[in-house]
Amino acid sequence: MSREQVLSAIRARKLIEAPPPGRYTAPKTEGDLTEAFAKKLAAQQTDVRILENMRDVPDAIADILRGKNMAAEIHIAPDSDLAALVLPNVEIRREPPSGFDAAVTFASFAIAETGTLAYASGQDNPASWHFRPLLEIAIVRAGTVVGELEDVLAQLKAKGGMPATLNLVSGPSRTGDIEQTMELGAHGPKELAVLVLKS
Amino acid sequence: MNQDPRQFPKAAREAVNDPLLRPALNRMKMNFAARRAYGVSAYGDFEKLREAGRDIRDYAVTHLDTLLETFEASVNAKGGKVHWASDADEARQQILAILRDIGAKTVTKGKSMVTEEIALNPFLEKHGIVPVETDLGEYIVQLRHEPPSHIIAPAFHLTKEQVAETFREVHTEFDPNRSLVERNTLVQEARAVLRAKFEAADAGITGANFLTAAEGAAIIVTNEGNGDLTRLLPKTHIVVTGIEKILRDMHDASILLRLLPRSATGQAISTYVSIMAGPVGERDEQRGFHVVLVDNGRSKLIGTEAQDVLRCIRCSACINHCPIYGAIGGHAYGATYMGPIGAALNPGVIGVAETGHHANASTFCGRCAEVCPVMIPLPKIMRHWRAVEHAEGLAPKSVTFGLSLWAFAAKHPLLYRFGASLLARFLKLMSRSGSVHSLPLMKGWFAVRDFPAPAGKTFHEQWQTHR
Repeated sequence: MSREQVLSAIRARKLIEAPPPGRYTAPKTEGDLTEAFAKKLAAQQTDVRILENMRDVPDAIADILRGKNMAAEIHIAPDSDLAALVLPNVEIRREPPSGFDAAVTFASFAIAETGTLAYASGQDNPASWHFRPLLEIAIVRAGTVVGELEDVLAQLKAKGGMPATLNLVSGPSRTGDIEQTMELGAHGPKELAVLVLKS
Repeated sequence: MNQDPRQFPKAAREAVNDPLLRPALNRMKMNFAARRAYGVSAYGDFEKLREAGRDIRDYAVTHLDTLLETFEASVNAKGGKVHWASDADEARQQILAILRDIGAKTVTKGKSMVTEEIALNPFLEKHGIVPVETDLGEYIVQLRHEPPSHIIAPAFHLTKEQVAETFREVHTEFDPNRSLVERNTLVQEARAVLRAKFEAADAGITGANFLTAAEGAAIIVTNEGNGDLTRLLPKTHIVVTGIEKILRDMHDASILLRLLPRSATGQAISTYVSIMAGPVGERDEQRGFHVVLVDNGRSKLIGTEAQDVLRCIRCSACINHCPIYGAIGGHAYGATYMGPIGAALNPGVIGVAETGHHANASTFCGRCAEVCPVMIPLPKIMRHWRAVEHAEGLAPKSVTFGLSLWAFAAKHPLLYRFGASLLARFLKLMSRSGSVHSLPLMKGWFAVRDFPAPAGKTFHEQWQTHR
């Protein structure tokens, strides 16, 4: 009933219709997209490392954990693209991370304009993993770095549409709610590290 | 805490004299304005972006019916359900029905001004369901039984010492002698307490910054990640938002996502932007996705002189640049929406009789309209509500009388000139060292300001001599 009530209330009032807006195009990010992405995200309290390929990942993960004085343990989602990752000297856990753990995740895309990781959720990429851990280490391939959000949307459309959740992440969790002063680690990860794979 | 917009003048006077509020307001004025200025300057042609934002929102506001129908179909196709609520009571009942259906006992909440507007929390508590605010600022004011004092910085009026005192009182599970001096210690304590709440919650309620018709998506932006945990950990996610939040599609959203954070905090993008379409489905039982569309007075603004206010994307730039808000903060308004957006919205949605004071509390400096990302002519809309107040005889008698006196004189030039020359001489006589400091019957006006002394002769008289 309320449905008709709300819709008829709107229709009763509607006198003038604005024309469809012209398509605004945001300025395109110039130059090397991977470099622009890395620079933007590094400016947002994020540890960004450019690696040659997947073979460099185990050392980088071990180094990041050591550098943060965290236990040599890491959570990797069972169905993810990273499930086959072998990490000598680091124990791999399959259950969802708690608020004190470290997790490795795989980003579907990266956006150069804003220094943003884009995660399309799915069985292989549970969205909650980007918010549960204390430290998130995200892996992204340089080939998937795009200029703007619009490029991500176009690629998702070509692959069959929006996932249940598309998460855009541009740094570690933060809050300015106490005395308007920025503090990290409000609910999501307090620390974010990104490994960009050149190939 | 003022809960009645009719008491605005009294509450505003008290706020001006509140010593704790002063430093918080001063910091707010500096911070938000400087950050926005930086964010805007770092973007190429921001004016063009504002124009695009205005056009997108204008199209949406004038096509609400068809866009909302498309949205509903898209949400259905993804396995979600849309609920329509004409007013606050319907919205509350519908949310309660969803929660009862899944036997929910506790609900975590992401930041949502619409749930403030419909007074959801006290209603849920009355019906045995515990709502837990999870945005840090909202959590703090909920613990203190206060309403938010700002639409995006709900606890900005508090000091860290006040927050520490509240946490010590409420978080009795921790050592009473623990140190709570550092802000980050407070943040981490809230994180730990709220994480357990997220894990235990039966449902999560968030607002939406935007809805997109084509994709059936609800979009939220946060810096904390609390909105996401609210959606992603419980079985059921309920989005509660206003009917005007709708957009055509994700392309429109991508443009507004450039305007919103720059206007709000100066960020190029919020730390988290989450585009949510359908149930989470991370675990088998996560199948509930509901969107409650709340009208609650919005549709009656369509086709009126206040229609443009429906373009609002709740960034708070107008609030952050308002000299009135900057002097009194948010609580004095006694309403969910404060500052210029409140002054333009409340009289239309709540009523002119109740919130006419909000539209009158303006210097008409126009900064609100200058910084508005979707170019809402806020002062023009406030003037409209003043005119309505006058036409409906709702203005105070003294104001109506004074205005009619002036109008009569203005229509009789000889009387006007005589009165003006008398007044110019009288004011000069009453002045000391270049200013008038007080006048009989005008103690109130002169209590907080002086009036520059006139030359003793009117402009007309001087023109006659100098010509």
